[in-house]
Amino acid sequence: MSFLNPFMLFGAGAIAVPIIIHLLNRRRFQRVVWAAMRFVKVSTEKNQRRMLVEDMILLALRCLMLALLALAVSRPALRTSTHDVFGQSKVTAVIVLDNSASMGVSDGVQTRFDKARKVAEQAVDALPSGSAAAVILASDVAKEVIKEPTHDLNLARKTVREAALSDRATDLFPSIEKALETLKGRSAIRKEIYLITDGQLAGWRQLGDIQKTLKAAKEQTGEHQVSAHLVFVSDTEERNLGVSGLVLSSGLAPLNRPLRFEAQVANYGKQETKDTRVTLLVDGTSADEVVIPSIPPGGTRSVPLNTRLKTEGWHNITVRIPTDRFPGDDTRTLAVRAIREIRVLMVDGEPGSEPREAETFFLGHAFVPVAAEEAQQYYIKTSTITPAELGGTRFDDFDTVVLANVPDFTADSAMALENFVKRGGGLLIFPGAKINAPFYNQQLANTRKLLPATYGEPRGDAAQDEKFLTLQTKGYDHPIVALWNDNAAGTLASARFFRTFDLNLLAAPNADGVEKNEKTNTKKASTPTNTVANLAAPKAILRFSDGSVAMAERALGLGRVVMFASSADTAWNDLAVRPAFVPLLHRTLGTLIQRHDDGANVRVGAQFARRLTADLLHKDAVVMAPGAAAGTRDMRRVELVNNTPVLIYEATDKAGIYEISIAEPATVLKFAAQPDPSESSLAELPGEEVSALGQVAAVQRWNPTLNLREWVEKARVGAEYWLPILILVLALAALETFLAQYFSRSK
Amino acid sequence: MDAATLATLLDPVAISRAETLGMHARYLVEGYMAGEHKSPYHGFAIEFAQHREYAPGDDLRYLDWKVLGRTDRYYIKQFEQETNYVAHILLDGSESMKYGSGQWTKFAYGKMLAACLSYLILHQRDAVALDIFDTETRDYVPRSNSHAMIHKVLATLAAFEPARQTNIAAILHDMARQIRRRGIVIIISDLFDEEEKIFEGIQHLRFGGSEVVVFHLMDPAELEFKFNGLVEFVGLEAIPNILTRPQEIRASYQAEVERFRSTLRSGCEKNHVHFVPVNTAQPLHEVLSGYLAYRLKTSVK
Repeated sequence: MSFLNPFMLFGAGAIAVPIIIHLLNRRRFQRVVWAAMRFVKVSTEKNQRRMLVEDMILLALRCLMLALLALAVSRPALRTSTHDVFGQSKVTAVIVLDNSASMGVSDGVQTRFDKARKVAEQAVDALPSGSAAAVILASDVAKEVIKEPTHDLNLARKTVREAALSDRATDLFPSIEKALETLKGRSAIRKEIYLITDGQLAGWRQLGDIQKTLKAAKEQTGEHQVSAHLVFVSDTEERNLGVSGLVLSSGLAPLNRPLRFEAQVANYGKQETKDTRVTLLVDGTSADEVVIPSIPPGGTRSVPLNTRLKTEGWHNITVRIPTDRFPGDDTRTLAVRAIREIRVLMVDGEPGSEPREAETFFLGHAFVPVAAEEAQQYYIKTSTITPAELGGTRFDDFDTVVLANVPDFTADSAMALENFVKRGGGLLIFPGAKINAPFYNQQLANTRKLLPATYGEPRGDAAQDEKFLTLQTKGYDHPIVALWNDNAAGTLASARFFRTFDLNLLAAPNADGVEKNEKTNTKKASTPTNTVANLAAPKAILRFSDGSVAMAERALGLGRVVMFASSADTAWNDLAVRPAFVPLLHRTLGTLIQRHDDGANVRVGAQFARRLTADLLHKDAVVMAPGAAAGTRDMRRVELVNNTPVLIYEATDKAGIYEISIAEPATVLKFAAQPDPSESSLAELPGEEVSALGQVAAVQRWNPTLNLREWVEKARVGAEYWLPILILVLALAALETFLAQYFSRSK
Repeated sequence: MDAATLATLLDPVAISRAETLGMHARYLVEGYMAGEHKSPYHGFAIEFAQHREYAPGDDLRYLDWKVLGRTDRYYIKQFEQETNYVAHILLDGSESMKYGSGQWTKFAYGKMLAACLSYLILHQRDAVALDIFDTETRDYVPRSNSHAMIHKVLATLAAFEPARQTNIAAILHDMARQIRRRGIVIIISDLFDEEEKIFEGIQHLRFGGSEVVVFHLMDPAELEFKFNGLVEFVGLEAIPNILTRPQEIRASYQAEVERFRSTLRSGCEKNHVHFVPVNTAQPLHEVLSGYLAYRLKTSVK
């Protein structure tokens, strides 16, 4: 048992008051000269004992009443932790404020984040004087706004008040871990975590870990004990429509050519939506518009939107739907660079004597599928060299290099190719009869980690046309081949493959190559990043009907490598003469080129990294974030990473276009951050899970009358007993009044 | 003695009303001169009482010759002799009589009652003796039927101040021994003494043949006991002070008083004594005329 107002216990001294009054009253009496003393004497003697008992009862009642009143105002409570006599002990608290995108849901008056900030402020207010508080903004990462708990509670209050909403996804576990870490080394009797969130289900995907961690913290004793308070500020929202995806489906964005964007609009609500207007904006100007007649609850509709880009360079492509209570997911923006031309270098391992016999004959025509007179105007420019010329070629003059049946090449060329890919170049590899498979496997795959797969044994006989493999007919998951999920787009399955190499996909690289700091960041939060050193897992693009890999890809640095299992010409297959060859090749090229700009569209919160030319090294770049107040701009410096000048920007908390400008030489870059569609889901943590959380933390749901201070103080020390005691005092007062009347009646 | 004292002691209303009723002796008293009261001695011709037939040996002085002349019968005339009685007024002058919550203390009331009675009795040419006592006789006015006697009575009453405790029984016994002739003994007191002893004294008086009238004076505060809060009662006689909350013992007190008065009443009735309970808040004339009217009624044979 302990007391929230222990000073009030001194009030118990008030029990002396009735005794003093009693004694004083005995001195204050009326004196009457009386004759009939014998009757008074007899009556008094008769009643003396009874009157004494009654007096004692009343006195005891009055004393008890005052003692209980003092007890009630001292607010006794069953304390769960350390005792203290002179007021509440100081608290070291960490305020974890959820600032993920879903906190932007409004109830029409204020957003969840507005409420959360108020609650957080109340939490700071509820800290006893002398306490210290740290502040963490929780989304998918823990952003320590006040890293070390400060005794300046005004600063904490101000920080909370000025905290900004982000467009990030939610994962509360890292923040809770960080909060516990912050409290770990602190010497404080009482440690508390206040987590204020909307309870969106997506944020609790590591619920088990959270419960385990909080439980462990709660069950600690003494200074290591940490008590957690969870406040859910959500209110039920039944309707939400969001743009869950936007991609450039044509893969490339050539100037003045029709571009097709695919926008996905999802209905996260519980009611069907009708006539949803989807608008495509290019640099803020409406370019196309589609109306989706109906989206069922939980359904997603994909709509094509078409436009042309008139100028070279970066464009903001935005898809917008009508604003609802969660405006965060009502737009989605891509940064798209309109390109004038794509330069493709084809290395022909078997040129032949006739152009028609060349290994790259079909490739060249497929890359430039126009008449010879129009080829000059076409945006894809091809050049062809022989493997012997590889050594003297500057790969940086090209966007993509195609190796078609190239036997092998020098280590220098291999290194140059690797660097080319890492800097953002594309590499397309076709095997053939002449390739030196062990060279590819050892030099390129195992040593340089350049290839997504190794070549196995060649299968089949190209000399016959009886036995062949075909490509898979359905289940095209990779973006390059996703087009053929639609039967109207034709089929890939008509192509026949008489001879192929087995492609043995390489295992995903471990994180050894990842920079140390990044390692800690990605260990559990699994933040999508796009750093120079990032190695993506090799994956299959397309498979044969027997399940073996037909096409594989891997990302390396800023570039990408795509590997085929069969030849580029018709020697081993007839793909090159099939109608699907041109779109397949163009989409592959688009992916390779896009990879160059892939970093231009990052997930909110992900790090943006852009390789720049050497003349920009150590130059200052001004970054203007979306929605940033005028005059608030971030400065970054172009640094040398892996011998490459790279501009890195990590504060991508808001969705939208980020504009980067470097003064000298004048350069403008753009990239777009896109919110995680999981934030659009308004599904909340189920009641039973909330109850389970109640076992390890004090859980409270926000309401307009929530008195956080009272609740927190109660939770801080357990149950309070002032009310029952006060009721007892009132009952005693009533009893006292009755008895006083009853006893003083004439007897 | 000035007129103011006279006026205080002699309530004109009480006297004017009581005069017509008169203070009659209820029993036959031995008078030493002819008065308004019956004497047990017949034949001493004062007032005709009745006839009876002559019997041989009767004194012929009392033969009614007129009846003999008219009817030829022998009748002897009988007469009642009216005698003057002596009224002994015993006024309690103990300290307890000093109490009074209203206009009068019990003693002041008793003095007025004694004065009025004395006046009435003297006015009837009967004799009055006044005895003011506490534990013993403190002041005494010997019997006299002189009108001038009233002045002496009043002066004595006016001069007396109560100061001591009561011992009524002893006084009554003394009085019984002193009274030679049967008369009326009027006791005016609050009778705050032991009941049994009081009764013994009264019996002694009654044994001597005296008529006894008891005026029992009680102050209204003593009857009602309407005190509130914490009160210390300071005893006028020997009992030490008592601190109590009177409202809480009121009922018990009143029961005690009632028991006391009923004991007195029944004891008096047993001894054929008039017991007159007097609340000093009552006007004296009411008490006096009420009692005298009652007495007159009970005296008529």
